[in-house]
Amino acid sequence: MTDATQPADSQVAIEVQKLHKSFGVQTALRGITFSLRKGEFLTIFGPNGAGKTTLLKILAGLARPTRGTARVAGYDVLEGDPAMKREIGVIAHASCLYADLSAVENLIFYAKMYGLEQPEEQAVRAIEKVGLKARMHDRVRTFSRGMQQRVSIARAVLHNPSVLFLDEPFTGLDPQGANNLKQTLRELHTEKRTVLMTTHDIACGLELSDKVAVQSKGRFVLYEDAKNLEKHRFEDLYFEVLSDRLPENSVPGGPGR
Amino acid sequence: MRQYLTQVAAIVWKDLATELKTRELFSAMFVFSVLVILIFIFSINLSIVKATEVGPGVLWVAFLFAGTLGLNRSFMLEKENGCLQGLILTPADRTTIYFGKFISNLTFLLIMEAFILPLFMVFFNVDILPHLGPLLVVILLGTVGFCALGTLLSSLASNLKTREVMLPILLYPLMVPVIIGSVRMTGQVLEGVALSSMMNWVGLTLCFDVIFIGVSIMTIDHILEE
Repeated sequence: MTDATQPADSQVAIEVQKLHKSFGVQTALRGITFSLRKGEFLTIFGPNGAGKTTLLKILAGLARPTRGTARVAGYDVLEGDPAMKREIGVIAHASCLYADLSAVENLIFYAKMYGLEQPEEQAVRAIEKVGLKARMHDRVRTFSRGMQQRVSIARAVLHNPSVLFLDEPFTGLDPQGANNLKQTLRELHTEKRTVLMTTHDIACGLELSDKVAVQSKGRFVLYEDAKNLEKHRFEDLYFEVLSDRLPENSVPGGPGR
Repeated sequence: MRQYLTQVAAIVWKDLATELKTRELFSAMFVFSVLVILIFIFSINLSIVKATEVGPGVLWVAFLFAGTLGLNRSFMLEKENGCLQGLILTPADRTTIYFGKFISNLTFLLIMEAFILPLFMVFFNVDILPHLGPLLVVILLGTVGFCALGTLLSSLASNLKTREVMLPILLYPLMVPVIIGSVRMTGQVLEGVALSSMMNWVGLTLCFDVIFIGVSIMTIDHILEE
């Protein structure tokens, strides 16, 4: 018997249908449709204000869409099922860490909130994974942006989610920090975890992803396999979007709308 | 149920651990309430008015003002670094966030009150020791009501730019029944009246405590929604 909350295709990790979101007269999302199979890595590029964060917030259950449907890991995001929250990890703009607690105390706290067995052991294991064991008893306030980002990743994957959302994770990182993060993301992806990331870093995005999308004015103007894309062609299109020269109803490629 | 309690306890532990490390909140609350008592003690001539008549009002003003400082800080801590978002992303029921914060606020305020009571006794020359039991019941009833509603409104005000101004504006008018009840009961207890002979006030305060907690449980889900 099939669970009613599971999508028809159990290989689909994220399924979005005609998603709209308005804030009063401002429209952030205009009918976005796409699906992502388990283990795929999608990077969404787009200028500021394109609605990328809004899309991620809806998929993570932090905001409600005005219209449309979205399923993540088989769960309807509108239902706010706690089981869905166990399946997703989110790395947002903010670290979601308590600055006056140590790194390990933060992770123990979140492990308890996720209802994990042996929270202390799980927290130490997670902090080892991101290479911060030596500093785990230091207050987060004393950490650099890159170190906070690593603790934030440990927090997001503490409960071993099957879907990971990353909202501009490279922002504010120096080249070494960005490189470390890229390596961590590669490791997380090889664990057959579905990843949806937004970023402005074209090189990192293209390198890490199976699929890429460009979002502008609340809709996808491109959605393609990363391997089919020539970097120059992609860059040209992306800069056209950034300079706002692209026609509003342009859909140059792929199934995404 | 066990997991629910673990999650509530985790929030309380996190708040207490943060306070033990920073000591920002308690020291501010304590200094503020001592100042309130000192200002009143220098402006009231205790040879003309009875300490048991003006004392309860002064005591509760000190508790409320100091408590408001604590409530303002309570959800600001969660807003820093987007921690509230991190909490909402966990599978924990949102009422665990409310109860965790409520118990933290209650603990901070009760500890602060335990430090203020001896000072009140000294400054107002009131012997509270013979009435300590009933007095603690009255203080607990008033403080629970204050923290129950205060925690809810603090979560609401934390989304506003003018949160420091909005919290007292929203909180104090709604707290009037509990405050009147608490001040009247404190006065009578200090006069030596038994708690059993002021059950109407006890009932009123208790009712408001229950109503505030009930309303909070029903609304916290919507308040924490973005």
